[in-house]
Amino acid sequence: MRADESQLKAWMIGGLDGDTACQTQLLRALVPVLEAFYRRRMRDGRDDIDDLVQETLIAVHTRRATFDRDRPFGGWLFAIARYKMVDHFRRGGRTCTIEGLDDILVAEGFEDASNARLDVDRLLDELPPKQSQAIRATRLEGLNTSEAAARAKMGESDVKVSVHRGLKALAARIRGEI
Amino acid sequence: MNTDELIQALAKDVKPVPRHAVGRRLAIGIGAGAILALVPIVWLLGLNPQLALAIQHYSFWMKWGYTVSLGSCAVVATARLARPDSGKLGWMWLMVIPVLSLAVIGLFEMSRAPPTQWLAMWLGHSWTVCSSLVFLLSMPIFGGLLWSFRHLAPTRLRAAGATAGLTAGAWGATLYCLHCPEVSAIFVLTWYTLGIGLAALAGALVGPRLLRW
Repeated sequence: MRADESQLKAWMIGGLDGDTACQTQLLRALVPVLEAFYRRRMRDGRDDIDDLVQETLIAVHTRRATFDRDRPFGGWLFAIARYKMVDHFRRGGRTCTIEGLDDILVAEGFEDASNARLDVDRLLDELPPKQSQAIRATRLEGLNTSEAAARAKMGESDVKVSVHRGLKALAARIRGEI
Repeated sequence: MNTDELIQALAKDVKPVPRHAVGRRLAIGIGAGAILALVPIVWLLGLNPQLALAIQHYSFWMKWGYTVSLGSCAVVATARLARPDSGKLGWMWLMVIPVLSLAVIGLFEMSRAPPTQWLAMWLGHSWTVCSSLVFLLSMPIFGGLLWSFRHLAPTRLRAAGATAGLTAGAWGATLYCLHCPEVSAIFVLTWYTLGIGLAALAGALVGPRLLRW
């Protein structure tokens, strides 16, 4: 389970105010985030990635004064992670192209995607479980109809109908919300 | 050391960080460097003996207006680049405003003087040393900024080096005004700008090496 932007930022600000518990929680929560970040971009071994994660944690901690409380946490974090990765490649005498920070934020889906996921979850929770399950399986997880049917132990046509009715209900609800 | 132990060790030291820590650190570095730069101005070059008179003349404020406005833009840019997510720096084009303004003043002054004096206005009495002195006086301030950067987190090292050099050059030139007796805008536009530009160039060259973390 990955912590989201607002939670991480709250811990970060707590740490800046001198709260040891916040700082510990922040650093712990960053370990999987950074591991995923480096693993997705590097073919290096486990050790290299561990080293980079640790180096980045040290930088996040010792240079936390450079975080601007009025700006997003994700942008600050991934700028440091990206810098450490570029530095790692440079030390190894390799050059490689690395996406710009804007692309990283999109790829990591840090802000918009986490907000969107919350919205989708909230909407789906309002549907009957059968319909929300069918939509999750076919539209969010990318299963095809027969896979979804097998997993939910339903008939294929039942899945199709559930998806259809569920989406229709969602559409009506969204229109009503606007 | 495994990651858990590392986190334990790091989290033992969580001092509160004031809100404007970056600005404060840069200000201390620039201030300390400026005091160091003042020493040779006062003891070796000497203050302009007619300083009291000079500050009543517009040319002194023109020079300071030029160097201070460049210096202020450069400080803001340096503060941005001291953070990992430095953001866009397109607004730095605003710095052409003081340069162009000085050029307009220079042309105006020349238009009011006979062409035989133009060369004298351009070279003044000190063109041979002006740029080098501005460059040399920028060094202690650049050194102060390097100290500031030790706990900051620039990720665009060449750009950060360049703006640190620009900051040092512009504030070094501001202090040099206390010595420099020159009065013509075209002189300042040429020789001051050259010194400040050299400082920025030097910063861009050494930035990637010295600002690494």
